[in-house]
Amino acid sequence: MADLYPTIPQCAVVATALKVLLWPAYKSTDFEVHRNWLAITNSLPFNEWYYEKTSEWTLDYPPFFAYFEWAMSQVANLFHPEMLQVENLNYDSWQTIYFQRATVIVTEFVLMYALMLFIKSSPAISKRQSHAAALSILLSPGLLIIDHIHFQYNGFLYGVLILSIVLARYQKDWLLVSGVTFAALLCLKHIYLYLAPAYFVYLLRAYCLGPRSIFDIKLFNCIKLGSGIVAVFGLAFGPFAYLEQIPQVFSRLFPFSRGLCHAYWAPNIWAMYSFTDRVLIYLAPYLKLPVDREAVNSVTRGLVGDTSFAVLPNIPPRMTFILTLAAQIPALIKLFLRPTWDNFVATITLCGYASFLFGWHVHEKAILLVIIPFSLLALKDRRYLGAFRPLAVAGHVSLFPLLFTAMEFPVKVVYTILWLITFLLAFDQLAPASEKPRVFLFDRFSLLYIAVAIPLIAYCSLFHQIIFGARYEFLPLMFISSYSAVGVVGSWLGFLVVFFTS
Amino acid sequence: MAGSSHRPRRKRKELVSSASSNGTVTTDTSTSRETPAFPLVAFFWPAKGSVSQWIVLPCILMVVGLFRWCTAIWPYSGFQRPPMHGDFEAQRHWMELTIHLPVTHWYFHNLQWWGLDYPPLTAYHSWILGKAGSFINPSWFALYLSQGLDDPDLKVFMRASVYISEHLVYIPAVIICGRHLARLHNINSWEASIALTAILMQPATILIDHGHFQYNTVMLGLVVASISSMLAGRALWSCLFFVGALGFKQMALFYAPAVAAYLAGICIFPRINIVRFIGVAIVTVASFALLYVPLLLGTFYDTYRKVPLPSDITLPPLLSAVPFPVSEKAWYYPYLVQLTQSIHRIFPFARGLFEDKVANIWCAVHASGLHKLHNYDQELLSKAALGLTLLSILPPCLIIFFKPRRELIPLAFATTAWGFFLCSYQVHEKNVLLPLLPMTLLLSTESGMKPAIRAWVGYANLLANWTLFPLLAKDELRMPHAVLTLLWAYLMGLPPFDIKAYTQSASEGGVNLLTKLVHLGTFAAAIAWHGFELFVSPPTNKPDLWIVANVCLGAGGFGLCYLWCLWNLALESGFLSIFGLQRQSAVQEKKTQ
Repeated sequence: MADLYPTIPQCAVVATALKVLLWPAYKSTDFEVHRNWLAITNSLPFNEWYYEKTSEWTLDYPPFFAYFEWAMSQVANLFHPEMLQVENLNYDSWQTIYFQRATVIVTEFVLMYALMLFIKSSPAISKRQSHAAALSILLSPGLLIIDHIHFQYNGFLYGVLILSIVLARYQKDWLLVSGVTFAALLCLKHIYLYLAPAYFVYLLRAYCLGPRSIFDIKLFNCIKLGSGIVAVFGLAFGPFAYLEQIPQVFSRLFPFSRGLCHAYWAPNIWAMYSFTDRVLIYLAPYLKLPVDREAVNSVTRGLVGDTSFAVLPNIPPRMTFILTLAAQIPALIKLFLRPTWDNFVATITLCGYASFLFGWHVHEKAILLVIIPFSLLALKDRRYLGAFRPLAVAGHVSLFPLLFTAMEFPVKVVYTILWLITFLLAFDQLAPASEKPRVFLFDRFSLLYIAVAIPLIAYCSLFHQIIFGARYEFLPLMFISSYSAVGVVGSWLGFLVVFFTS
Repeated sequence: MAGSSHRPRRKRKELVSSASSNGTVTTDTSTSRETPAFPLVAFFWPAKGSVSQWIVLPCILMVVGLFRWCTAIWPYSGFQRPPMHGDFEAQRHWMELTIHLPVTHWYFHNLQWWGLDYPPLTAYHSWILGKAGSFINPSWFALYLSQGLDDPDLKVFMRASVYISEHLVYIPAVIICGRHLARLHNINSWEASIALTAILMQPATILIDHGHFQYNTVMLGLVVASISSMLAGRALWSCLFFVGALGFKQMALFYAPAVAAYLAGICIFPRINIVRFIGVAIVTVASFALLYVPLLLGTFYDTYRKVPLPSDITLPPLLSAVPFPVSEKAWYYPYLVQLTQSIHRIFPFARGLFEDKVANIWCAVHASGLHKLHNYDQELLSKAALGLTLLSILPPCLIIFFKPRRELIPLAFATTAWGFFLCSYQVHEKNVLLPLLPMTLLLSTESGMKPAIRAWVGYANLLANWTLFPLLAKDELRMPHAVLTLLWAYLMGLPPFDIKAYTQSASEGGVNLLTKLVHLGTFAAAIAWHGFELFVSPPTNKPDLWIVANVCLGAGGFGLCYLWCLWNLALESGFLSIFGLQRQSAVQEKKTQ
């Protein structure tokens, strides 16, 4: 057997050391959000959890996450009870920071376990590749930036997702566990609903229907899966249904009043659309197009709220849902016809792509929905790797604006560059040749694309300020998001070609 | 000189997997399967064989850079701690005073608020940083108004200045020195990279410079550059670099006897080389002159402008010690005042035998209650310290003088510095970095990562780190201290994570039984000490009990490190061969062929 060094635990030790050193680093309001949830779940009775609004950061995750916060708050109570008072807004004593940061690190063990299972589940011939992919996820700069500096629990949540994906790879009996795990994940954070179509199709075809014919319905399996999922959702939402609070809970989970683009544009189709709109404002007089004067200011400022476009037509929420679903359907059909595990992971990735690229009010952090499932497949062969490369660059560069303080700047940039060099080179050595010819010129495109990243980051982080000072603040953000959007869309097109031609 | 630089580089043979001389790989005897000997090696496993140095080296630098910068996020010494703050304020204040005051005032300015008491190179370094910082934000270094400032942006600037200074001096010097050592000891570049990472991840250096806040790595880097020049056979460059180190921080004196002995040795053995001797002498004098040129030029400018000295000063006592009568009217008088004043500031003879609590002999003897030293006359004590120091550095200096061989340099430097640290006058706990540096360099020598050497280098580093704990705890740096120390111990496969280094038998490159007992006993005691320090408060009549225990154990351990270095130096030099003791070394065999 191949020597798989460094092992996952070895990397975890070194990564943990770095993460602990990052404890006093910048933390976003998400830190206070989670502290507030700890306080709410600990000090308030169950029926007030989704009504409490002393802090503006109300509880807007599904019930399992609330239970998760409750469990952690029990430990916090032994450690430092002051952080558990709802009135203690913006409380960040060192004990609170140590505790909350430590919970992120400890709960990330789920991810480590899932990745070890992933390596174990892969056939001997691709063990090395799986090992490299697993390390790339464990050491992902996305998780470092979002979880360990910005503050969230994605390591834990993506750990559950990978666990559920890997369980589907074991014998057919494990599909049930995989489905139930995914249902539990939905009750932890509902953003994973975007991936649900892939799960639905795969479980339907591979678990509920017979392998030979789609008319061979496995009734017992259907009952098992159905009751499993109902049980999970019952555990999560049942108590609130009993209290007749479901409408309140759902109004917290799905706030439709937000705008199409987030304050900072996530690098998706709508970022390109907005960028085009910006350019058209200047071109409109020559092209004789009507300009909505009121909208001009709102787009420049990129405020949260209803984004309106000056030249191009506005986008209603319904439109984004139709587009998202439309982008998912071809992959779902292919998965239904050929329900292999590889196709399942590819479809999850494509569902992630579709929701990220076309979704309503997408946050840049959601790029992990694409990167992490894709990482599991990136080493399948060189064509997949070709599509992965621009995504790896664009996805992580697009996270840079999350951190804007001087002290954290070198950390995010150096860590990301280190990761890109190490893993893109390792992947390049490990990815096996493809049976099919390469996509025409795609590799050239991705090399050029990666090269552009260097001057772009230098301009956005340094030269813009030297040249313009505080003026045109939106410009670097717009450049980064448009640049990243090109990369994400490019890698999506590349992946579509690879997926549908193999 | 120009001719030699054009000779084509010899491509060294890469014998990666088969001839692992250095103890990084363990091979299972039955299956002949290779595994990494300790976790740090595992991280280099994918780079084994084919990966270019152009990729490995930047990756190493990024990793060690990240750990440095993440340590810098934590508080520094004296953060929000009036009235005096700490070393951070001292360094910031020097930038403030050098950019605002006339040069003649630098060494006369108020000693009470962190007066400048480092040699001129530090002053110039402060001047450059102060100018650069004032360009970004003048309020950081506004005269008098900026004292005790703790602006977060200032912290970023100061931390970055340490980081950049280190990367301009220490890091290139260690890389080049590692290459020379590897060439000398026939180590392949893969193992040299592992040793380089281990050296650069040395926790004490990171914690003091990037946590506590100092610029030690500039001085240490110049010392490494000096060692590196010696290894490359460029004695004149080594003089220049060493004077630079002395000119940055007087603590480089710890190494001075070894440097002098080696340089004197290569002028006499194997045959007397007068030309080399004259060259060394001239370069040394010229380097010192160069060191003082900016200060004296500044004095010239101030004399020309007729800037008076501050009114409240006392002239340096050294001035009266000048062997010829000095007239205040003489043209050279202002220069003489500056020279003597700078020396007076740099060497404060009036201070006590040791400062605070430091793990050397004097403090251990005094604090443990074995023998109270404050009953003695200062004069007598300083003489005793001088005598004992001379006694301790004499053996290594004699060895390196009579056998000026390049392989002996790290050990000779380490032994001398340990002697100074343990016995001399006016030692800080931070000075333990000086003996640690050459001792850690042993990792990139032949069999440097076999248990015998790795265990001792690890022992010295972990023990030194442990004696730094009280200082770092005062700075609120407990967490980075724990993280970096444990990480290094883990990577090097040392206790408390792994005792494999102690289970190999002595014949297979392991350590002997006595070493095992001493090391494991010390580690156990250190861990127990942390337990006491954390959970048990010391008796009220002995509030410093834990620190005293720390100092005594540390001094004992460092004494053993001194003896170990001395023993190995004697063994390697062949002096003990008359007693039938000799180390079989591939380097020696090659030399004798």
